[in-house]
Amino acid sequence: MKPALSVVFFTVSSGVGLGLMIWASLARLLSAPLPGFDLAMGLATGLFSAGLLSSSMHLANPRNGWRAFAGFRRSWLSREAVFAVLVYPVAALFWWEARRASQSGLLVGAGIMLVALALMVLVCTAMIYACLKTVPHWRSWHTVLGYPLFGLMSGALLWLAVQSVSAASSAAIDAQGGPQAGWWPGLALVLLAAGGVLKLAYYLRFARAPALPSLNAALGLPAGRVRLLDVGHSGRTFLTDEFVFALAREKARGLRWLSLALGFVLPAVLLVVSVRWAGLALLICLAGLLVERWLYFAEAQHVVRVYHGSVAAPQAGTVGGRG
Amino acid sequence: MKLGLVIDLDTCVGCHACAVACKEWNGQSLMAGGAPDYDPQGAEPSGVWFNRVRHYEFSAEAASPQGAHINLSKTINVPLSCMHCEDADCVTVCPTGASYKRAEDGIVLIDPEKCMGCNYCAWACPYGARELDTQAGVMRKCTLCVDRIYDEQLPPSQRQPACVLACPSHARHFGDFDDPASPVSLLSAARDGQALMPELDYKPVNRYLPPRAAPAVDTAAASARPGNLKDRLRAIANRLIEL
Repeated sequence: MKPALSVVFFTVSSGVGLGLMIWASLARLLSAPLPGFDLAMGLATGLFSAGLLSSSMHLANPRNGWRAFAGFRRSWLSREAVFAVLVYPVAALFWWEARRASQSGLLVGAGIMLVALALMVLVCTAMIYACLKTVPHWRSWHTVLGYPLFGLMSGALLWLAVQSVSAASSAAIDAQGGPQAGWWPGLALVLLAAGGVLKLAYYLRFARAPALPSLNAALGLPAGRVRLLDVGHSGRTFLTDEFVFALAREKARGLRWLSLALGFVLPAVLLVVSVRWAGLALLICLAGLLVERWLYFAEAQHVVRVYHGSVAAPQAGTVGGRG
Repeated sequence: MKLGLVIDLDTCVGCHACAVACKEWNGQSLMAGGAPDYDPQGAEPSGVWFNRVRHYEFSAEAASPQGAHINLSKTINVPLSCMHCEDADCVTVCPTGASYKRAEDGIVLIDPEKCMGCNYCAWACPYGARELDTQAGVMRKCTLCVDRIYDEQLPPSQRQPACVLACPSHARHFGDFDDPASPVSLLSAARDGQALMPELDYKPVNRYLPPRAAPAVDTAAASARPGNLKDRLRAIANRLIEL
């Protein structure tokens, strides 16, 4: 699949924004005056909105973008759009109530709703990819779990960074024993570990993902040898541009290790050394997630490749013609 | 009704006439909204095609109709267009409702007034039947020439998709698969018509007829020396004809 940069940026940026919104909201529900809460909500909304704007840039006809809410009962893309728009009024209500009252029923209600909505957006984004029968690599629980987990993970890192910035200019640091206290660094570490394990599991499963259909089944031919002779067009087409993205196996291998190192291992190491480096850890983690997401598209193979004579690299022999 | 195509992989000669006729008809069609060419006379010509023909090499051990064992070796030409699936995922995933499947005849269409060009339907299609028109910013696809097949101003024989009418080897047939007595249903049943990528379970309507093994020529009998007088006279007559 073609890794569209607008979509790669969208999922990483919206993911970290929603993750931050979830953790900041939960933290605010647990403790009344919270340093960094306003900054966190502002940052989260900004990152989330930047992601949404970026995703609308990938539309060929953005004037009809508003119609995306119409298919809520059928389409995960539509569900994502609906929940994403609902995040704004609920976030505004929660933020407004958080400034007005230290604790209230409305605050708890709005906070829980905001967390649930943000999680729903992340799950819907994941389901957009996981529901496609045409991309066997994506059609697994790894995808469904991955998007929310990576969002929560990067969001937790950003929440740590926001806390250290605001605590540095706040007296609350002494009263609470510093922003590094509490269970936030531990939570971020646990999420980084879980994310790393999940990504590693995805890479390990990749070679064993359900094979693309055989060329015989794709062409309705009986048993026998079949191979592509002529693809029928002399230049690039929409199909080859969108679905037949070629990635050298060596390059993919290097990028896999890079995504694991930057996305999960290095941030965790930095965090263990000192929580002060949460900001740096976050930047490295985001770079790793961008690589991870780019690779997630570039490596995935659409079944239409079978008609173009593509033999899936890890499964050579299972695709008709070479077996 | 369940309208669709039967495509005969045994007789298709791979001439691309169906694809060209499709471009010709739908290039200006109001219903399909157009199938533009990009840079047609330039260095890198490209464009939107609702139907693409690819060519494959096929060889298999097969049994002839007489039961003899023969080697089948053939170039297979495969035109691919929308299969008008009964369980069309392209329609399910469409967020705007621009993609729809007509209840009355099963034709899958796109409303260009509603499409936002997100490409998601093209991702959901395993057959590569949908292509983005980057000039108009909307998705395009085969309409089964819905603006021909119901046009009562055309003579009945012309109320067929342009690709079917253009095919010089009669490898394309159009009709109603809901009717078990329709020519397409009978042809598909008689020739073991296949759905493509059936394991994805989209229930495609179009059927592809696999290549047939040609009747085996009994070369041993043909080259054997004729025995009796009648066969000898026949052999002499044959040689006279070939003089």
